[in-house]
Amino acid sequence: MASASRARKVIYPLYQLGNPQLRIFRPNFFMTLVRPGVPQPEDTVQFRVSMQMTRVDVKNYLEKIYKVPVSVVRTRIQYGANNKRNYKNQKMKQPDYKVAYVQLGQGQTFQFPNLFPEKDQTPEPGSVEDIQKRFMEEEIKMQKPDPRRGGVTDWFGL
Amino acid sequence: MAAPKGWRLVWQGRCRLLHTEPSAPPVPQPSSSLYPPVVASSTAKSKSAKIRRLEYFYQQVHEAPSIEEKLRVYGRLQRLKYVVYPQTFALNADRWYQSFTKTVFVPELPPARAESAGLDLSNLRSLVCDALLKEHFFQRKRERLYLHREQEHIMAPFLTQLVSSLTAALGSHNPLLAASCLDLKPEVNFYWERGETVVCRGYRTGRIDPVRFQIDDKPHVQIRVPKQLPEFVPLDYSVPGEVPVINHKPDKLPLFRRQYDNKVFIGSKVADPCRYGHTQFHLIPDKLKRRRWLKENLAEQIEVVNRANGITSLFAWTAAQAMYQGFWCEADLTRPFVSQAVVTDGKYFAFFCYQLNTLALTVRADQCNSRKNICWGTESKPLFEAVEGNNVKGFNDEILLQLVHFLLNRPEEL
Repeated sequence: MASASRARKVIYPLYQLGNPQLRIFRPNFFMTLVRPGVPQPEDTVQFRVSMQMTRVDVKNYLEKIYKVPVSVVRTRIQYGANNKRNYKNQKMKQPDYKVAYVQLGQGQTFQFPNLFPEKDQTPEPGSVEDIQKRFMEEEIKMQKPDPRRGGVTDWFGL
Repeated sequence: MAAPKGWRLVWQGRCRLLHTEPSAPPVPQPSSSLYPPVVASSTAKSKSAKIRRLEYFYQQVHEAPSIEEKLRVYGRLQRLKYVVYPQTFALNADRWYQSFTKTVFVPELPPARAESAGLDLSNLRSLVCDALLKEHFFQRKRERLYLHREQEHIMAPFLTQLVSSLTAALGSHNPLLAASCLDLKPEVNFYWERGETVVCRGYRTGRIDPVRFQIDDKPHVQIRVPKQLPEFVPLDYSVPGEVPVINHKPDKLPLFRRQYDNKVFIGSKVADPCRYGHTQFHLIPDKLKRRRWLKENLAEQIEVVNRANGITSLFAWTAAQAMYQGFWCEADLTRPFVSQAVVTDGKYFAFFCYQLNTLALTVRADQCNSRKNICWGTESKPLFEAVEGNNVKGFNDEILLQLVHFLLNRPEEL
């Protein structure tokens, strides 16, 4: 918001009718694409949107700026939790936010991508990591107590 | 019975269809036994106690002395249930509704049996045109109608007039119609259970509960008859289509849950002699009119709305008729039930036929049940092109003929 208020202070030359339009006005709304907590049908996308945005705003935003076909938008307001206390035992309220469920048009579907896929952990044979890993395994095996002793400590016995 | 937390979180969001073991029916003890049979407790907090309570409930419904009593016991337990609206704004609702009602949709009508020989079609056409012109030309209507209420001023009286005049004219050809009962804006209700889910709120959190549905329908006109219509296909006929499977909660349609009286009603009480359905006429409300869908670039939803309306309304009506005959989910049908419907917005007409083959929709009853309900339907077509002055342009005889075929449908022996 600070940057937005600073931008507002800049004085542009007065626009006269017929002048070329040099500026594009974009709303200072924000929409965040989120992974749905509850699984949604394939054609439904979930967003967190600015509290002031209406369904019509969401639809126009996606259609005009991102050229995404939208058929229906449903919104709700999520109440932020207020069950937390800070170190002074004062109630801490999480801010509320608005959630928009957008049903895509023209048979389009969307699946939220897996942003942190499980990496393949096995190193190449012969590489430094592989040697290091095998060395560590040997070391751990060596430091383990002898299973034949049945848990009796090393210092007890010959 | 608090379930482990992680398990609950995993299953919270999805509709889980569970396959529970069929509980063994209580073994009938020989009457010569000295001691009463050993049965599970009915009050304990255990699986066998739960099954025992369920068995007791089923026994109560089975042993109900009259149909009214049976319906009362069947819908006695009130819980939150999904309210299914036949005329819905939800997108692609027809697939969801098919899965709720276990219905296969066939995009054509079944072969007609009623013969239209000896019909004076020009007479019928003039009847329909008269009804149309009465609303559009002869009567003085207000210059500007209330916004979004044209339907109830023009289309609704036209449909009423159309149905009553056609049934009166066709009474001589079909004696069933002469004995029929015409309901104006009747209530049709049906309550059923399908699938299972885990309760995610309240003191019953974590328990497994059947998903309950209720339809409260209000057709514009419906015709009830004292004799049952003939079946379109035999009871165990296997339809080529598949029932769509939807792995989401009905909340996502969106559908909402409410708790109120569980009602099963066909438009008349049980004692009425006209206890079988013939034809329903549904008027698509102004909110779902064609122009709105076209404006929003959702032209394919026009047919979806009609289809969803046909499937759900006919399921509710036909299933309620079957329940009036004493069938329910634990006592499945021994003969199929059949109804017909016309869905219209006053100009475009779509025709639907429904055959109810099974009422066993609960998880317990559905385990080895290969029967499916079948809905046949057509796309909507215009009855006329326009009304200019006092003549109707481009009247479509095909639609009128189909309407007459629907009304002439009757059992062989009468």
